[in-house]
Amino acid sequence: MQAWVCLNCGWTYDPHVGIPEAGVAPGTAFEDIPDDCKCPACSAAKADFELMDL
Amino acid sequence: MNVANLGLVLEDLEDKAFDPFMVEKLSHGSTPDPYPAIHALMAKGPVHKGAYRDHFDAVPDVQMAGLNHYVVLGYDLVQQVLLDPTFTNREAFEHNLGRSFGRTVTVMDGPEHTRYRKIFQRAFLPQTVAKWGGSVVDPVVKDLMGSFICKGEADLVEDFTHHYPFQVIYRQLELEPEQAPVFHKLAIAQLLSSIGAPQGQEATRKLGDFFAGLLAQRRANPGTDLVSHLATAEADGERLPDEVLIAFLRQLVNAGGDTTYRGTSVLLAGLLTHPDQLASVTADRTLIPQAIEEALRWEGPVASTWRHATRDVTLAGVDIPRGAILNVVLASANRDPAKFADPDRFDIFRERTVRNLAFATGPHVCIGQHLARVEMTRALNALLDRLPNLRLNPDKPAPDIVGHILRVPEHIHVRFDQR
Repeated sequence: MQAWVCLNCGWTYDPHVGIPEAGVAPGTAFEDIPDDCKCPACSAAKADFELMDL
Repeated sequence: MNVANLGLVLEDLEDKAFDPFMVEKLSHGSTPDPYPAIHALMAKGPVHKGAYRDHFDAVPDVQMAGLNHYVVLGYDLVQQVLLDPTFTNREAFEHNLGRSFGRTVTVMDGPEHTRYRKIFQRAFLPQTVAKWGGSVVDPVVKDLMGSFICKGEADLVEDFTHHYPFQVIYRQLELEPEQAPVFHKLAIAQLLSSIGAPQGQEATRKLGDFFAGLLAQRRANPGTDLVSHLATAEADGERLPDEVLIAFLRQLVNAGGDTTYRGTSVLLAGLLTHPDQLASVTADRTLIPQAIEEALRWEGPVASTWRHATRDVTLAGVDIPRGAILNVVLASANRDPAKFADPDRFDIFRERTVRNLAFATGPHVCIGQHLARVEMTRALNALLDRLPNLRLNPDKPAPDIVGHILRVPEHIHVRFDQR
């Protein structure tokens, strides 16, 4: 299984949950998250995420 | 065990009678509850001239004396400061952690910080440390519990939490077990430079010499351990500089061991002093994650951190000059009544509003937070599984969380039924 992980802090995006505090609805694919959205745990940029094996 | 560290010995402190654990306790003071003072300050406003430490009875911090301090309080402003690159780490932490550990990521900012931090964070990603649960964490839990599981009573701090996270890190470094007590001693002693104890720099030097030798050995003969991994890791095609690696390892034995012991102790104290919540968690282990987050919010391991103002700036109407050292009080954010209803109450069922800032946020958010959660989860599950009817010992004092900056109960006296 793979997931998008913040390289700065390790926070892992769960598309089933989305990012409610940023207005990203559950069911949103990572690719469809706005490019200016930040990691909710550390505010790193979307570009600082990497697709990783869990 | 990695045979490559045979022959390397960590030198003990010259004064064998010096007890860094006792001195550390004394240096943190015995403030039973800093929150009335924090709330009183917050009521007057979120920014105040002066140091956080000045409001409490504690041994003076000689390394941070003479600097131009301001206290920053409340969730929104604490978060704002931690996310704003105007406020840097290096010029604040070079006075304290930089002296204790050396050139760690804590004393870096900007692109240099990002470059190295990503390497270290990769070694502590959630999926990575989750694998340590069975291989490293559980054996430590079992060993420590073995000393009291048949007794029907224990002090969960002295018998368990105080040793627990340090031993996890120690095993992950694959060092010789007999040297663990000296390592723990020197790891704690490193920070005593803050009160002017010469043993602080002595510990820093001795750990540095040891890790320099260890890195050379593990590069020559890499294993699958954490040190070998970091010793051969690369940033932009280059190996990490020795001084950055050694500093990280010095910080790791302290940060990985010291903070999680406090977090785990607080989690246990919170639940044991709220038996209804303890019963709920015992019956339903899916509540453990929210119990951990509430413990971290209620009494996070680190009550305040530091930042440096790189320019003149105005925060909440207070002018702060360039060069000021901000005391960013994480504890005030986590008990902000604007964000958390009845914030002083420990309640694992409270409505989730915002994330707690126990691990800070921003570029310097705690690298070890995922390991901390794994350790807290495993410890709580094991204690609840193997110590039936776990409860506070009514014949001994209840846990008392003390300290103004690093808070912990010194004892958690419990009883339990024996299987």
